[in-house]
Amino acid sequence: MNLEDYRTIFIGASLVLMLIAASPGLGVVIPFFRGGERFSELWILGPAHTAEDYPFNVRIGEMEQVFVRIGNHMERSAYYVLYVKLRNQTQAAPSSKTSTPSPIIPLYAYRVFVADGETWETPLTFLFLEASHSGVLLNITKISINDVIFDNINYLSSWDSENLGFYYQLFFELWVYDYSVSDFRYRNPFVGIWLNMTA
Amino acid sequence: MSPLKFSFVLVIFSFLASQFFVAAAFSQVSKDEAASALANCESVLVSAYRTVLEAEQAGVNVSGLLVRLNDAGERLGKAEAAYRLEDFEATINLANNCSEIGNTVKLEADELRLKAYGPRYTDVWFKLTASIVGIVFVGFGSFWAWRIFKRRYYRRLLEMKPEVVSGEP
Repeated sequence: MNLEDYRTIFIGASLVLMLIAASPGLGVVIPFFRGGERFSELWILGPAHTAEDYPFNVRIGEMEQVFVRIGNHMERSAYYVLYVKLRNQTQAAPSSKTSTPSPIIPLYAYRVFVADGETWETPLTFLFLEASHSGVLLNITKISINDVIFDNINYLSSWDSENLGFYYQLFFELWVYDYSVSDFRYRNPFVGIWLNMTA
Repeated sequence: MSPLKFSFVLVIFSFLASQFFVAAAFSQVSKDEAASALANCESVLVSAYRTVLEAEQAGVNVSGLLVRLNDAGERLGKAEAAYRLEDFEATINLANNCSEIGNTVKLEADELRLKAYGPRYTDVWFKLTASIVGIVFVGFGSFWAWRIFKRRYYRRLLEMKPEVVSGEP
């Protein structure tokens, strides 16, 4: 090895040592890349706390229960609003492609704060109390959600002759508070279950 | 109808009508108050959350504060449901409770954040100073080591005796 080779080794070793010496300061100035993307999870579990036996055939006066769970992987505590909505087969669902929420007015809203890496869960009980039926139309006029009764409502559904039933989707939209824009944003996750109202 | 009878009917009618208008006015005031209490609670919660986030970034363990914010959030959810059901008294009570919790959390988070900043700044300055001193030390050390190495390298080179392998072609 000639002197040039030794010099290259010296410079390389010095740079490595300098980087090691600078690492505490770099850790302060540049936050270390923690890996993975920031996201939130949202899922529904059935009454037995499992991903099965979801309510499907529902009747007036029968109470049903599901569990909703939110997982925070945003690398900081998050403030969520979870909207509970009900729609028929023709009303717009949230769009996954364009990340737009459903225009339907929510029935109920949960306001939740979840620490990073933690999950939050709540039971949701719902009960259809009143509905009017005329020909191929069914109109739900009274619903109870978590023992709060909502009357003077109108959720219409027409008879689905292919699948034989009046279908409704009970779905949940997750909105997260965005610190940078000082407002809530719909960040796409939504989950729902289809219900066949057999009246 | 005699003037006396007419006056009597008019008084009764005015009394009944006034009951209706007063009730309507009260209901409107309650609705407006409820809406304002809800809006206030929402803004207090957002403000408290922002302060909690800042405290978290300063290194504070915010799990206890989040539990209380969830409590306030639950009350806000119930207040919104009560508002939809036009139970404005319940709306105002729940929203005011929510605001109270939110304000307390905000104050506490702010206090914890300020407390955490002292040690955090010391830590940051210590790390930055240590890094700068370390870089300078390594730089000078390397330069000094290189000079010694180079001197020894030349000395060793000069001490080498040339060897003649063969004198004739």
